[in-house]
Amino acid sequence: MRNDDSILLGAVAYDAKVVPIWEGIRDYFVSERVPFDFALYSNYERQVEELLAGHIDIAWNTPLAHVRVRQRTGGTSLSLGMRDSDRDFHAKIVVRADASIGNVKDLEGKRLAVGSRDSTQARILPLHFLEEEGVDLDRVTLVPFDTDLGKHGDTGSSELDVLRALHEGAADAGAIGDLVWVTEQAAGRIDPSKVTVLYTTPGFDHCMFDALPTLPEKKRADFTRVLFAMKWEIPEHRRLLELEGLRAWMPPREEGYRSLEEAIAKGAR
Amino acid sequence: MLDSSASAAAAVAIDAGELTLSNGLLALVRPALEMLEPGGMLAILSRSSAVREDLASWCRAERHEYAGREAIGEGTERHLIARGPFSVAAGEPEAGLAIAGRDGVPSSAAMLAAVPMPPRANTESGFAPRGARVEPGGPPYPFALIERDHVAPPEVGKLYEQGVAAQWDASRDIPWHTVKPLPAPLEHAVGQVMTFLAENELSALYVPSRFVSQIHPAYAEVALFLASQLADEARHIDVFLKRARAGGGGLGISSVTTSRSLLSLLETRDFTEATFLLSVLGEGTFLDLLTYIETWAPDEATAELTRRARTDEARHVHFGLSHVRWALAHDERLYARLEASVRRRAATLAGVGGVPAPLQDALTVLAAGGTEPRAIARGHEAFRELLATMHQNRLKRLEHAGFSAEQAEMLSNLHTPNFM
Repeated sequence: MRNDDSILLGAVAYDAKVVPIWEGIRDYFVSERVPFDFALYSNYERQVEELLAGHIDIAWNTPLAHVRVRQRTGGTSLSLGMRDSDRDFHAKIVVRADASIGNVKDLEGKRLAVGSRDSTQARILPLHFLEEEGVDLDRVTLVPFDTDLGKHGDTGSSELDVLRALHEGAADAGAIGDLVWVTEQAAGRIDPSKVTVLYTTPGFDHCMFDALPTLPEKKRADFTRVLFAMKWEIPEHRRLLELEGLRAWMPPREEGYRSLEEAIAKGAR
Repeated sequence: MLDSSASAAAAVAIDAGELTLSNGLLALVRPALEMLEPGGMLAILSRSSAVREDLASWCRAERHEYAGREAIGEGTERHLIARGPFSVAAGEPEAGLAIAGRDGVPSSAAMLAAVPMPPRANTESGFAPRGARVEPGGPPYPFALIERDHVAPPEVGKLYEQGVAAQWDASRDIPWHTVKPLPAPLEHAVGQVMTFLAENELSALYVPSRFVSQIHPAYAEVALFLASQLADEARHIDVFLKRARAGGGGLGISSVTTSRSLLSLLETRDFTEATFLLSVLGEGTFLDLLTYIETWAPDEATAELTRRARTDEARHVHFGLSHVRWALAHDERLYARLEASVRRRAATLAGVGGVPAPLQDALTVLAAGGTEPRAIARGHEAFRELLATMHQNRLKRLEHAGFSAEQAEMLSNLHTPNFM
């Protein structure tokens, strides 16, 4: 374990904006007299190993990385908090209007565009839930967009690839996260004559701040106290919250990861 | 759009037909939610299966609470949304404001006055016009003038309206054909006087412009008035230069006295001090100077352009007096500050002597109508009378602004020999 006083947080540099986000949060913590710094990794696999090795105090993890930390620590890891937007995530199956797909069973024999194989919302869980709905995935032709592997779907680029493939007719259906779907619709970037929604998965939870059980109590208390004091109505905070995609930090909860644990246990495609 | 019978539980209801998130539903949903307080319920009647899939996701993205749906027959469902707690714009929607003037036409002053100026402005409302509902959490703006009593006298809206109505054209509205060849010394004197006027009006353009960007938009009428004042000064600069060149004489000399005096004005950092020095003392003194030039003008064009400029300047003086009187009434320490700024400025001009010599000589020749010695003696007497008139009228204006007779006497005597 590191033995200096500052909280060292790990995050994955999935986009250039990650630097101003964590520099802003570091400055905010320091202004609240909590020593804080961050380290950036290029992928979640390395970040998880660094957390387990005690090189960082806290890791800002995707659901896949969170579940791995839980498994590797035998369920003893500490979950410290999440974004409001991480709760009740859903995935969508969207389809071409001309593909004659009226229900999920109709996906058999069709081309289904999916995101990166480490994307929870654009591949792992939509396929898991389709299987639960009785779809024979062996009869579905997957059109994968394996971009940004190691980033666990954070960039959202594979979800945009899925939508592009649908608009262009390179796939009959596609799997994406609900936030990308409603955001793209609201922005007017979806042609309703070509692409429409078919199915919404059950809810699941997304990112989590993970720590080892050996995290000193003072660091845990300082981190959550200062983090949860961030307010959307405060202009300097709002700028950081907007960049990180939330309006309020929330306490942790574990039940939202059950479906992902099951999907991994049975061997995600 | 409103249908209060759709649901007893919903405060607002909309019929969205077959609209989805992809083809315009939000243009109905978002304004309807904007009418509600956090927690207030919106009912959406929809015949779209896509809405059934997506509305809850959109609510999650926007932090509204999706409260469920029920079938109400014929393929129609009623969805319920409770408005979320974020980004609630402050204040009440505007409605029914009276903005008509006496003639029934919308009046700028009445329109601006319909929403009262706040005593202190919120720097996080940015450029939002007064009366707009402002979403909280905006970035702070660097406006320095954020207190009504140091910025905005009550009559500023009316002065702005007058300023707009009184705009004129420096080419079309002056009888330029009346400019005829004059004896060379007299034409030279006209050119010198116009040079002095243009130089001073340039300062009157630059000094207020420094403060426009510091005025909080909650007091927009002050910025609007100053914009009309800047347009006035631009026109004056134009018309004075035209007159200097129209008779063939051209421009005269710019004196160091004038340059020093105007720099001390330009360097004044406080809005009220600058307004006092420029508009009350400087432009006030210019009213008498312009009357003098109009009186002794050698042609109708010169008389008309100085008369028109004086009318504009009188409005600037009116604003300056209103501003200073209002500020003095709300800040007892301001007397001492204004006195100190006049003393500071006088100190920078100490030892420079009197009125700039080229201007004094030109004003004398102008009043003499030529260079005949007895006429020059009369011109000199007219100039002496001008100085006395300027002093007397400064006293009146200072007392009108709220100074005592003794303070007025002292301040007037310290005023710059450059007039502005």
